[in-house]
This record gives sequence, structure tokens and C-alpha cells, in this order.
Amino acid sequence: MLHPRVIPCLLMRSGGLVKTVKFKNARYVGDPINAVRIFNEKEVDELVFLDIGSAGTRAVPDFDLLADIASEAFMPFSYGGGITSIGHVKRLYALGVEKVVINTAAADQPNLVSEAAALAGSSGVVVSMDVRRSWLGSYTVCVAGGTRDLKREPAAYARDMEELGAGEILLNAIDRDGTREGYDLELVRRVSEAVSIPVVVAGGAGDLRHFREATEAGASALAAGSMFVFHGKHDAVLITYPEYEELDRIFK
Amino acid sequence: MTSITENCNYSAVPDQTHQACTRCIMNTMADRGISFDDMGLCCHCQRYDRLVSARRLQGEQGREALQALVDRIKAAGRGHEYDCIVGVSGGVDSTYVAWLVKQHGLRPLAVHFDNGWNSELATRNIELVLRNLGIDLHTHVVDWEEFRDLQLAFLKASTPDGEIPTDHAIGALLWKQAASRGIKYIISGMNFATESISVPEWSYGHSDWRFIKDIHRRFGSVKLKTYPHFSLFFLFYANILRGTRIVSILNYVDYDKEEAMTLLRNQLGWKDYGGKHHESIYTRFYQGYVLPRKFGVDKRYGHLSDLINAGQISRAQALAEMQRPPYAEELQQQDLAYVSKKLRLSTEQFAEIMSAPVKSFRDYRNLYGFVQFLRNTVNALRKRHLYPR
Repeated sequence: MLHPRVIPCLLMRSGGLVKTVKFKNARYVGDPINAVRIFNEKEVDELVFLDIGSAGTRAVPDFDLLADIASEAFMPFSYGGGITSIGHVKRLYALGVEKVVINTAAADQPNLVSEAAALAGSSGVVVSMDVRRSWLGSYTVCVAGGTRDLKREPAAYARDMEELGAGEILLNAIDRDGTREGYDLELVRRVSEAVSIPVVVAGGAGDLRHFREATEAGASALAAGSMFVFHGKHDAVLITYPEYEELDRIFK
Repeated sequence: MTSITENCNYSAVPDQTHQACTRCIMNTMADRGISFDDMGLCCHCQRYDRLVSARRLQGEQGREALQALVDRIKAAGRGHEYDCIVGVSGGVDSTYVAWLVKQHGLRPLAVHFDNGWNSELATRNIELVLRNLGIDLHTHVVDWEEFRDLQLAFLKASTPDGEIPTDHAIGALLWKQAASRGIKYIISGMNFATESISVPEWSYGHSDWRFIKDIHRRFGSVKLKTYPHFSLFFLFYANILRGTRIVSILNYVDYDKEEAMTLLRNQLGWKDYGGKHHESIYTRFYQGYVLPRKFGVDKRYGHLSDLINAGQISRAQALAEMQRPPYAEELQQQDLAYVSKKLRLSTEQFAEIMSAPVKSFRDYRNLYGFVQFLRNTVNALRKRHLYPR
């Protein structure tokens, strides 16, 4: 792969795919298994699944559904949502999940990040951070689906996670989620400068130029949701993914 | 809408001696109710000959009628964002309709029903074609848990109507989008030239909500809350009170499937799937695996016979095609595994469904008589040019 990774980031709730705007108003967009199958044939670089139904609750990953999804996915496949123990991590790897995405548990029980990294190596452990921007322009890291403010500065938090053994940061800007107005480049810059591990950015992608802007700001890979599931002025649900040549052109 | 084949006698005892039509490939095995005239021409071909001039306009006559229709559609759309609706699946008929409608300067809204079985090629075709033609899209994504339950209920009901949940919802979606957006015309990809043969025993229930509801009541377990459906009363409201019309625009042009595909490939980047309605994985599997193996129904007999009557292939070509399996065996096995996974059926449960005794829509509550009455009424109106073709 010559260009940075471009990764569809799909949200699940109660077994269905949804898409949110600023972490709210989840809209149903279909069945995850069929979506994986379509993305498979589109030869996407990677796929991220986040179960937002489990954010902030005690729900555990839906292992049966994940087994079905993993069996359809021929690309590297990451999963996050409800991972709270090393047992969960082991089961997910056994199902064929390549990377586990840890969010709330990384803040509440940082040991889990280290344990997971010790189990499968750093490359299999992603720490995801949801960042909110205040109206004064300061950033804080939130967990539990954006409902609990950790009052931590994102760059420092990301450095801590790198030290714990995270192999990658998934950086999500809550205020940009589902807006398709572009990534929060200031946030991307700050966090990518603070760590040496890859930073995958999410929240705000609306067209290919946004990918380029984010890589110029330091992002290693680009994740997007709405852009790959909505089409046109009526936000019609239609799974799309850019052609390899289009990506080459934008990153040239 | 296709009408029933008036000449065929469906109460007749199946003929023991195998006979095939002298013109098309329909025969006593494909359709147990088939009948033949003294020359050996089947009832489907006789019906085709009788109706073709009323249902299908060609050449100059077609161009004039189409232009008049386009003018009416434009007039009806004045003041609205769109003047017609086209249903899109990614398949050849609906894609060609989208192209044709744009060629005539209409402002269509494309509507797509996502039932969770789209192939990658279907989504890709829809994306490319609509982008290249500059057509807006509305998609309805059905709740998968509901839809899965309904599809499964139809499989358990053991009738050959497993695609009715999709067909009915598409109809409902088009009618309702038209009503809610003040659009008077729905442009359909149905066409007499290549879709005229219909055997009642092959499939029933497109507009019979009572039938669908009864099957779901008996075999389903998830409440249908968001599944798009319509009653015949709604159809009356939409047709008579609102004056919404379905137009089979392909009946006004010299529609040649091969030529259409070439045009779409060259101009819009459209790609072929290799089978009729194979844009949906479930349809491919249902028509190419379940129907032939469980019900002894191979819809290719009808599709290919239509193409013979339309002069688009020869009888020999059609017979050669029938020597091949409905679609690649290897893909059938892949589809079997995928369908079982999506419907959450074990290998044994699926085998049980395949071996259960065959039933017909007549074993369930239905409005068959009334639906036929409505169809015949529409066809009678068509004959008198009081309803679009």
C-alpha cells in the first residue's frame, strides 16, 4: 500500500449498524454482515467496528455476531466496545479480530492496555480517545461514549497510552463526528506530534481532500463513517469506497 | 403489472406427456397449466401475440406516445422538486430506465430499497450510474431483524413466494415516496417485451398484504414495525384519489437487453452480474437454488421465452442456456453458506426447509380474487388507453 490507510469506521448498536452525528441521533443504516461483505469486495485497507451500545454500560462484546463478521472479513479488522478484561481480549483475537480497540477501560484500568500488549504485541492494541473541544478552544478526553469527561489534555493522555503499550491511537473528534466538515486538524496536529505510534483520525471526513489535510497535519491513517455510508443530498444509505486510483491521486 | 395468462387452464390435471412450445421453450414441466393450440403454440405465446400491439409501442408510434407521456409527466411535476420516481436496484432494467428518463429531460428521484442483500456490484452500479447521470437518491434501509424474520417466515411457509417480502416492500416504498413528495408518476422497469410471461404458480402476493401478514402471523416472531407495506385500500387511494400512475416506460421504446447493457457499460461504467435479478444475493440464491431444487421452478424458462418472443435470442440459444445450471455451482455453495449465516439457520434447519412439503398461497389467507379483478381492470383500462402502458 503506497498511500495512507483509509479505514471505514462502522458503529454498531444492538446488532445493527448505525451512524451518529456528534455522538447523538444514531440512525439505522443496515446489517453489519452485509456491509462487511460489500467492503470486502471493495478491497478496503482495514475495517474498524465499534459497538457503541456497550459504551459506558457493562455490556460485553457480542461474540456470536463478531464471529460471523470476522468470518466475512478478509481485511484487517479491529473491534472496540465493551472490552473490559483480558479474557475479552483473548476471545476477540481467537475469533480473528486483528486489533482490539480499548476506550473507557484504558482510562479506568490502564493495566488492561499493558496486558493486552503483552499478549499479542503492541500492534494488536489500539487505544481510542474521544475528544471534545470546549467553546474556548481547549480539548479534553472523554470516555463512556462521550458522556464522562476525564479532564485530561489529549496529547498528554496519548503519550501515557503509548507508554502503557498501545500500538496505535484512534483519535475521534466528538464535535466533528458525522458532520462531514473535515477533521479537527489542530487536534490531529497536537496528538500526532506528541506520540511516535500511528495516529488514526476519525470524525469529520466528508471528501477526499479532508484525507489529505489530515495526513499533512500528521495523521498516519484516515477513518471515516458517514462518508462511506451516505450518498447525496438526501443522505441515502449507500456503501461506497474510493477507487485505488482516486486515493493515489489525492495523496500524490 | 403483468396479468394472468387467460388462455391457460390452471385447474387442469397435469399432462403426463411432455410437450414444449414450438416457438418458445415453455413446456409442460415448467408450467403444469400450460396449453397449446393446433399448431403447438403455447398459451403464453398466444397471449403475447394477442397483447403485444396493445402493450408495447415501437418505432415512430412509440416515440410519439412517449413524448406525449413525457410532456404529461413534466406538466404534473411543475412546481415540485422531482417529476417522477424511478426505483433502482443496480440491475439492467432499472438502470436503463434511469438513463432513458434523463435522456428525455425528466427530473427523477431514484429510490432504492435496501433489504440487506445488496451485492457489492449493485451498490457500485447505483453509485456510478446516479453520479454520472446526476440523479438524487433516497434509500430505505429495512430493519434487518424484522426483515430476516419475514424472509424466514416465507421459507417456513413453504410456498414459492420467498421474494414477496422484497417485492411488496419495493412497491410500498415507491407508492409512499410518491405520495409524500407530491410526485404523480412512478417509472417502472417492468416491460412487456422481456417480462411478459407469468405463471401464477411461480409466485403470488406482490400486492396482497393479507397474505403476507398471515404468513408472518403463523411463522414469524419479530413484530413488523417499520417494514414498508400497503393495503389495497392504500392502492385505491394512491391510484384513484391521488392519481399516481405507474408507467412502464420500456414499453414505449425498442428495448433490447443486449444493446441496453452495452450502452450502460460504455456510457455509465455499469457492470453486468451475469443473471436476471442477480444484483441481490438472496434473489440469486432463491431463484437459482431454492426455486429449482424445492419447487421445480426455473424462472429462466420464462425469461428466455420472453427474449425469444421479443426476437432477442433464438430458441436454440435459449435451449443451450437451459443446459447450464442456473448459476455457477461453486457460487451456489458460497451463497448457501452465506444465506444460512445471515438467516441464522443451521445446515440441518436449512435442509428441513428444503424438504418440507410444498404449499401454495391458497393454503393461507389471501385476496387472490380481488387482486386479479384489479389487475384485469387495469389491463382493460390500458386497452382503452385510459391507463399508461
